[in-house]
Amino acid sequence: MSTTDLATTDTATPPAQHGHAGVRTMVTSEWTKFRTVRSSWISLLIIVVMGIGFAALFSAVFANHWSQSSPGDRLQFDPVRISQSGSFVSEIVVGVLGALIVTSEYSTGSIRTTLASIPKRASMAWGKAIVLGVVLFVVTEITAFASFFTSQAVLLASGGKTLPNDASIASQLRLAHVPVLSITYSGVAMAVFREAIFLTLMALFAMGLGLLLRNTTGTISLYVGLLLILPILAQLLPSSINSHILPYLPSNLGVAMSTVASRHTDWAGTLVGPYAALGLVVLYVAVILGAGIVLLRRRDA
Amino acid sequence: MIEARGLTKVYGSTRAVNDLSFDVRAGVVTGFLGPNGSGKSTTMRMVLGLDHPTKGTVTIGSKPYNDLRWPLREVGALLDAKAIHPGRSARNHLLAMAQTNAIPAKRVDEVIELVGLSAVAKRKVGKFSLGMGQRLGIAGALLGDPGVLLFDEPINGLDPEGILWVRTLLKSLAAEGRTIFLSSHLMSEMALTATDLVVIGQGSLIAETTVDDFVSSNTVATVEVRSPRIDDLSTVLTAAGAAVTPSSDGGIFVTQLDAPAIGDAALAAGIALHELAPVKASLEDVFMELTADSTEYHATTSGQEPS
Repeated sequence: MSTTDLATTDTATPPAQHGHAGVRTMVTSEWTKFRTVRSSWISLLIIVVMGIGFAALFSAVFANHWSQSSPGDRLQFDPVRISQSGSFVSEIVVGVLGALIVTSEYSTGSIRTTLASIPKRASMAWGKAIVLGVVLFVVTEITAFASFFTSQAVLLASGGKTLPNDASIASQLRLAHVPVLSITYSGVAMAVFREAIFLTLMALFAMGLGLLLRNTTGTISLYVGLLLILPILAQLLPSSINSHILPYLPSNLGVAMSTVASRHTDWAGTLVGPYAALGLVVLYVAVILGAGIVLLRRRDA
Repeated sequence: MIEARGLTKVYGSTRAVNDLSFDVRAGVVTGFLGPNGSGKSTTMRMVLGLDHPTKGTVTIGSKPYNDLRWPLREVGALLDAKAIHPGRSARNHLLAMAQTNAIPAKRVDEVIELVGLSAVAKRKVGKFSLGMGQRLGIAGALLGDPGVLLFDEPINGLDPEGILWVRTLLKSLAAEGRTIFLSSHLMSEMALTATDLVVIGQGSLIAETTVDDFVSSNTVATVEVRSPRIDDLSTVLTAAGAAVTPSSDGGIFVTQLDAPAIGDAALAAGIALHELAPVKASLEDVFMELTADSTEYHATTSGQEPS
């Protein structure tokens, strides 16, 4: 165990004058970190299983109760939204993943090793954001589409009938069977696609909160508060006021994003349009993540 | 080569590091010595670009740390060995670290071998003992085969065999021409490992010197003396120009007169001596004396130390 070992082990490291430790090397490293902790895989498994499971469960319940459904329920029924019922669980899971990718480094103290390895702090943060974003984009897209097809299959198996492409929302009132939307129905594929985009963006939002608070409990509490508690509080306000608040809360923007654009305005007066919702969520993420990176660069590690 | 110039760090109303300037040269182990809470860790974090100095600069090979292209290949650091995700294996931890600086995976296995963790490389870090954690931290510092190495209290939690191993390792790394900056609050460790010394107390520089000079220039030669006629002897020695203080067990401590002179004086006065023992001041004693005023935790103070 002498250091002659060390002296003779000159490695095949790329020459020091080329490149530098930055976003690219951080992405490689961060992916290693992500895949080598079991909780990452458990979280991703929860997203997939809950997504598909809730899609099947809720579709079966709605299909079997269609004949007893009230006119209001029938008008509100959206086969795409039902297929994404699991998103209420996924919203929390992606938030926890987004928070932990930053706050677990602060709770263990490994942030110092990470920042000493990548002194360009913004690069460090972008590396994390890219790994988080790409992993969740892939997993949530797969889940969203798998959930949609599962839901569609369950509805059809329970006696549902596929709506024609020009069917109006009002026609759902008179249907004897639960309506089913094909993936080819105008705007359906994009609605499913946007649902996963929403979840991916919310993970980045939570990561931004993590950079601001640097504490797991605080970050997850705030995230859950913004997502779940804030809408409840806003509901308590007079409707003349909360109608100016509710549509812009993250949770409702998520609902708006996964709504089929062409079926949107008929029934969902409390939501903004799906692309306006996408724009707002992107804005929220940019502000929080941006503020997080600014503070990361300024503060002591 | 590490150069600190006027390094100052203020947290609120606390001056953790105060106008600190020192050089750490290549080829020897430089001890960074100070009581707990004296600003050693804060200084180390500023060297690594983790904490921003309130004033002053610190450079490594004339560059600020944050300007290094591949920092791990130039500077290795062991700050807090336990600062690792407990659910990850030792090898994966080192692999992720290596990848940040494009260090090949082969090198990961080499450093694992070097620190003697091969048998447990696939085990979760959370199950590691403190000593294994220290070895893993040292492996991380050596990963990029860097020319500059910083160790913050590396022997904490190591067994005697491990301590000896670290000591030998640090010395041989220095002998290879590397710059080794080793912080400790243990004087005895410094005496055995370091050549140069940077001593701080309450964030300020107390001495920048070598271990040998530090001891010899700060030591007052003292002789412990016992005699059946101790009072008479004290009078004789005082008359001969010595300063005498009684010890707790009936003897006396004599300064300003060396052992042969004391013996001669006793013989001349016809007083028998039962003990004549020069007391060698240890580095520890010197250090305690020098930093007595600068430790922040006197019984009477209640300062908070951000460390």
